[in-house]
Amino acid sequence: MRLALGYVPLVDAASLIAAAELGFAKAEGLTLDLVREPSWATLRDKLAVGHLDGAHILAPLAIASTLGLSGPQTRLCVPMALNLNGNAVTVSRPLWDAMEAADDEVDTVAAAFARIARRRAREGRPLTLGTVHPFSSHTYQLRIFAERGGLDLDADTRLVVIPPPQIAEALRRELIDGFCVGSPWNSVAVAEGYGRIAVLCSELVPGCPEKVLALPESEALRCAPLVRALDRAGRWCADPGNSAELASILAREAYLGTSAPILERAITGDVVVDLDGRRRRDPHFALFGEAAHRPDPAHADWFIDQAQRAGQLEASDDLRVAARAVYRPDLFDAALSG
Amino acid sequence: MTDPSLTVAVIDPSRARAAILEEGLRAAGIAHVVIIPDTADLPAQVAALNPDVVVIHLESPSRDILEQMSGLSRHVERPVAMFVDRSDAPMMQAAVDAGISAYVVDGLHPQRIRSILDIAILRFQAFARLQRELVEARGELADRKIVERAKGILMAARSMSEEEAYKLMRRKAMNEKRKIADIARAIVTAADLFG
Repeated sequence: MRLALGYVPLVDAASLIAAAELGFAKAEGLTLDLVREPSWATLRDKLAVGHLDGAHILAPLAIASTLGLSGPQTRLCVPMALNLNGNAVTVSRPLWDAMEAADDEVDTVAAAFARIARRRAREGRPLTLGTVHPFSSHTYQLRIFAERGGLDLDADTRLVVIPPPQIAEALRRELIDGFCVGSPWNSVAVAEGYGRIAVLCSELVPGCPEKVLALPESEALRCAPLVRALDRAGRWCADPGNSAELASILAREAYLGTSAPILERAITGDVVVDLDGRRRRDPHFALFGEAAHRPDPAHADWFIDQAQRAGQLEASDDLRVAARAVYRPDLFDAALSG
Repeated sequence: MTDPSLTVAVIDPSRARAAILEEGLRAAGIAHVVIIPDTADLPAQVAALNPDVVVIHLESPSRDILEQMSGLSRHVERPVAMFVDRSDAPMMQAAVDAGISAYVVDGLHPQRIRSILDIAILRFQAFARLQRELVEARGELADRKIVERAKGILMAARSMSEEEAYKLMRRKAMNEKRKIADIARAIVTAADLFG
């Protein structure tokens, strides 16, 4: 069977790419046509009209799409999660210097950030922050980061949406003062000299749901071979012994087109946060494999809560039930026991 | 059906395609059509123009940027909302197939959106057809050139007339069920190798 799967160039698309490149898909009788998409909206709409059979997608967007909150309403199912964590908040170097954070602990950095953000708001030139999509863990992580420092994100900053592959460039061109994005784009901003990683989101919201595999609900009963292939591929990606090989595959022009050493930082969680080479290590920086794969309906609850706090929806019992129903641990269990 | 009240913004990384769409919309009587370059200050430009409809290429990375203008937080700057009429699945399919996405302000009459999208789809399809024809024409030209070169090689090597050389290649192509250009390419390659 031939499947067209969409992805946005990010490290957490690793299991799709590994499944296609390393024979995990073939072992299940599948041929994967991976389609790189420039933005989440494009991916979402192609999934909606059937140009894609499935996709690597922001978990909140899979729910928003099913609920009709983003783009054409499309009933999706999530038979598997792809990863937990993997994002970071990066700020411009001038902003970091102005923050004068005494250390790299989350509370210190959040307080320093809030101080500057409030001052800039008072001066009538509020900070502009980039997120990757309204319905993304990134949007919620930025809000949580602001709250940790006692900052009202809505009142004191401007939030704009920029797709991941362009967000570092936006910082370089000083269109934004900081952003929250997945790997490798934080490390790219650091390596190219204009960004300073302020916070690893794995330290801000531990075990945060991130990308999932989403398929049209009509394909739910046929997803077992794909789930098995991606589960094996994801476990392979999670094995530290494979980090270098995974980085070199993802680095190819056809996939992420980024340097392998930068990708490896994100894969191993040994993150370089500034140009001087200061490191921040977190083995949970991006979690693949067994720790992440089984889709957890509790994650849907978290998204609904966060989306409500962000003013994106009015939560109701019906909405919660519909959101939880997108997550299908039953399909995951059936695929792996079959 | 001239419609002076409507403002349509066109955003497309291909300037040629944007121009073709602009011309089509104007021909349909929409007086105010503005092409906005797909660049970093797009949100500011869209906000300043305040269009009723935005037609944007499906693959444009700026789509996420546009969508934020409706859904990011309670501080909505401007309601540039939704894809197309959600009840109209065939229309949506046709738009995506043609590579189009559209955003409209809330409350715009569905029929008016429809007519704009119809024009956009036809124009995008026409553009794709033109491009395909251009690629084919380039291919044909390249084929003709290589056949000419192969003819010249045969004429010199085997003291044939031009017509005999062409017939020889054609016979070979028919016998081997290949295109004459493929035979010609083989001759040219072999001649290069043999010097």
